[in-house]
Amino acid sequence: MSSAKSVIISCAGIGSRLGLGQTKALIKINDRSIIAWQLELLKEVEDIRIVVGYQAKDVVNEVLKYRKNVIFVYNHDYFNTKTGASFYLGARHANEYVIEWDGDLLVHPDDIKKILAEPGEFIAYADITSDEAVYVITDAEGNVTGFSRQSGDYEWTGPACLRREKVKFTPGNVFEQIEPHLPIKGIKIRAFDIDTYDDYKRVTEFVKTW
Amino acid sequence: MKFIFDLDGTVTSQETLPLIASHFHIEQQIAELTQQTIQGNIPFMESFIRRVHILGTLPVSEIDQLLYNVRLYEKLAAFIREHNEKCVIATGNLDCWVYSLCQKVGCKNYTSYAEVENNRVAAIKKILRKEEVVKFYQDQGEFVVFVGDGNNDMEAMRLADVSIAVGMTHYPANSILPFTDYLIFNEDALCRQLNQLLSVVQE
Repeated sequence: MSSAKSVIISCAGIGSRLGLGQTKALIKINDRSIIAWQLELLKEVEDIRIVVGYQAKDVVNEVLKYRKNVIFVYNHDYFNTKTGASFYLGARHANEYVIEWDGDLLVHPDDIKKILAEPGEFIAYADITSDEAVYVITDAEGNVTGFSRQSGDYEWTGPACLRREKVKFTPGNVFEQIEPHLPIKGIKIRAFDIDTYDDYKRVTEFVKTW
Repeated sequence: MKFIFDLDGTVTSQETLPLIASHFHIEQQIAELTQQTIQGNIPFMESFIRRVHILGTLPVSEIDQLLYNVRLYEKLAAFIREHNEKCVIATGNLDCWVYSLCQKVGCKNYTSYAEVENNRVAAIKKILRKEEVVKFYQDQGEFVVFVGDGNNDMEAMRLADVSIAVGMTHYPANSILPFTDYLIFNEDALCRQLNQLLSVVQE
């Protein structure tokens, strides 16, 4: 077993909240799809697993323009499940450590280097920007001690890294999958996910600062 | 644990049928049949029987020798040889045509069978249903991984514990995609996944 970490990018969802009519991986940020941005930023990672569902063939074809040696993982039940199910499916035959990465998440390139160099388990979080965020509660050392829908110190964005055997099936969200294993070391990053049209506009500005 | 591999376009990097067609100058006959099959106008079983009627008149030993020289995905073939007690080939091709090729791959194989007389196919005796190979090993308690790319792999992929659709030689048949767990287009990625399966399932 390789000691390298697998990165699981979840691109199975229908992107309903954003309302741009396609799965979020295919949304263009400054003329480039989100998945193309992610593949460029993660080009040093050997084991990339892309979980597909809605518009699977379109996502596959988009990815193959940039990289052939990825492993596509099907979440056939994408309509009834959330990112937790995709993370489980992506992780189940992966390396010892698995990094979950939402298909709508863009992380600053310098912070990606930091994340990929980080040994062991961690949870990454960012300053609060979204209106409908899940919040992260931290202790004095920055470790993550809880998640909350109401309030918290930072916004939960991911990525997060867990040992593979801890990733159990859930139809729900990744943060619910992580909760039983807290506290976990936290890492502050600059990152945006794209849940709403306002998020989308913010991200197009964010990538211009790189 | 058993890894069951389709042969044509999965372990071989060339499709064998066009190779035979070109060698014996029967491209047009084969192309028409292939086209009709791909469009779904002729079911797989009928297409296979018609194919054997065309190819069965050709010398068996010459086809066997021709297919022996077909290119393999060498890293995948190395995985199969290294773990040959865990790997099997399941191919609809006739035993008399792929005998030497299967010997070269170097693991147990399941094929269709035909009676051969005077170096020609006399009669088809059995057409392999790959799902029966999957069931056979599952009944023995094995965890079965199936790797394939074609319409005739569909039932086997539906039954297998883990299914991998490969698109290394051509894009996999759309009919198998609803039943696959993984979709892989690159030999390095496939070998990585097979090794990870080996490691995770055996833990």
